[in-house]
Amino acid sequence: MFSYNRLLFLIDHLIWGILIVVFVFFIFQSEHFLTERNISNILAAAAVLGVLVAGQTFVLISGNFDLSTESTLGLAALVGVWLIVPAGTPTNGGGIFMNPYLSIILTLSMGALIGYAIGCLITVGNMHNFIVTLAALLIIRGLMLAFTEGAPVSGFNNPSADVFYWLGHEKAFKVPGFGNIFVAVLATGLIYFICHLILKHHKFGRELYAIGGNRDAAEALGINVNRRIRQVYMLSGILAALAGWMLAGRVVSIQPNLGETFIFTVFAGAVIGGVSLQGGRGTMLGALGGVLLLSTIDRGLNLMQVSVFWIKVIQGSIILVAMLIDAQRVRLQELSNIATSEKKL
Amino acid sequence: MKILELKNISKSFGAIHALENVDLDISQGEALGLMGDNGAGKSTLMKIVAGNFSPTNGEIFVEGKKTSFSNPLDSRNHGIEIVYQDLKLCNNLTASANVFLGREINSGFGFFSRLKHTAMNDRAAELFGELKSETRPNDLVERMSGGQRQAVALARTRLSDPKLVLLDEPTAAISIRQVAGVLTRIKQLKETGHAVILVSHRMLDVFECCDRVAVLRRGNKIADKPIAKTSPEEVTGLITGALETA
Ligand SMILES: Nc1ncnc2c1ncn2[C@@H]1O[C@H](COP(=O)(O)OP(=O)(O)OP(=O)(O)O)[C@@H](O)[C@H]1O
Ligand SMILES: [Mg+2]
Repeated sequence: MFSYNRLLFLIDHLIWGILIVVFVFFIFQSEHFLTERNISNILAAAAVLGVLVAGQTFVLISGNFDLSTESTLGLAALVGVWLIVPAGTPTNGGGIFMNPYLSIILTLSMGALIGYAIGCLITVGNMHNFIVTLAALLIIRGLMLAFTEGAPVSGFNNPSADVFYWLGHEKAFKVPGFGNIFVAVLATGLIYFICHLILKHHKFGRELYAIGGNRDAAEALGINVNRRIRQVYMLSGILAALAGWMLAGRVVSIQPNLGETFIFTVFAGAVIGGVSLQGGRGTMLGALGGVLLLSTIDRGLNLMQVSVFWIKVIQGSIILVAMLIDAQRVRLQELSNIATSEKKL
Repeated sequence: MKILELKNISKSFGAIHALENVDLDISQGEALGLMGDNGAGKSTLMKIVAGNFSPTNGEIFVEGKKTSFSNPLDSRNHGIEIVYQDLKLCNNLTASANVFLGREINSGFGFFSRLKHTAMNDRAAELFGELKSETRPNDLVERMSGGQRQAVALARTRLSDPKLVLLDEPTAAISIRQVAGVLTRIKQLKETGHAVILVSHRMLDVFECCDRVAVLRRGNKIADKPIAKTSPEEVTGLITGALETA
């Protein structure tokens, strides 16, 4: 029997179908695709992207944007590494040889502080979130470049720093068929689980959906909207810093442009996963689907040796298709509303 | 006993004087009809009592004690519930989530608390039943008819046992059958010792269930009379300005 509701359900979970189709497609395209090494790589790449998308999902659900997270990620990686490497010439560390645990705390606090500052500018300063986070994107990136004078920071042969690199670098265990599972993948999985609990089963999440759905109503019912928005940006900043810490363990040296243009992929992941740019809509499960799909496509095209230029074209097209599907979703929703009200008459 | 007393309440939005020196009071078991033309200041007055706006001037007394509301929760904690004119619903949430918005039922505390979905859905279903609405707790508000939406907003006022219920045009979008339901509900509230302020443009409703009627014109209260001592004709004249005062 045809029913709009059934169709809506299908569209809501379409992402998983697409993921399977894409996966099978790549298996036939490249013999290297279904190898333990490749699967392990897809998951590791998805881990860093996933953490950023998780933060962005919260921001988007509350009806806001955060363009700045790619810069916060870069700065966190840079500062984190700089704090732990020994003193020396700038190109070979030039750091301050700090206790790595302390550096982790400082790095995450820096992310929180950046997010809090952004939140204050938006809520107290009454500025538009797009402008504030765009300015933050530029300022933080500029600081990174100024700080390093454009040179990379490295110094990874420092054994006391192993705890710092553990998150991005360490293999947790091996799963036959999936290869080595990195600590980063487990951490991201845990973050998604906690974020899911918060959105679905905690008052905080419920309030974010309300704010994104009807800010005026949320305010009238006594929700401290501005405070929640500051908290959401803080969370986004912390997660961006965490992603930076994670990424630092996967690269040989921190380039001052680390993470540049990553924000497009982050938005693509969230939107493809069904998180609405209009606010008030989206789930962690959907966002996870978006992240896995993008990472899979990225790796698959790489293995097929498609040029990076075409990868961009393909990514852009995927976003358009996702938006097209979303637009149909809204239309279907309206049609199904009409259908239900006609049934009542 | 006087549940609420407003003294000399004024409210300006920039150059607009929405309310000027309004006095108003209401006692236990009383229903007051608040009438006036569009833009007369009725909703503004209700929002001051509900804690959404603070008055530019004037004093608020709840059960004789001077009070000020810094936010809607303050007002709720003083036993005042409101149905807003525009209902204040979140379309993206379910009926039950909307009813409990801002006062969800939780287990545990703080960060480790958890929403009790079943308890909230069950309670919401009960409330909709009492309101004789077919609304189901898990339906999204965006897919509801005007009357069902109104039922959701009305259900919010029944979560607590309020002393005073403010209804800002609760019958504007609903069917005759449901209007009767709301009027019965107002009478019930009166009988159980609650106070009700009903903002309405429908003369019939006000004359059917209110004990007193107050009229606002351009931010001033120009009349406040027992229903028994006035008539629909007089009130109409007061609202339109054909009569200056009464
Ligand atoms: N938030 C606000 N900011 C600025 N002006 C406002 C605001 N709220 C109300 N006003 C103004 O205050 C005046 C009174 O508005 P109010 O909504 O109280 O009227 P009302 O009596 O409820 O009218 P209606 O019958 O149309 O609901 C109007 O001139 C309106 O423009
Ligand atoms: Mg009004």
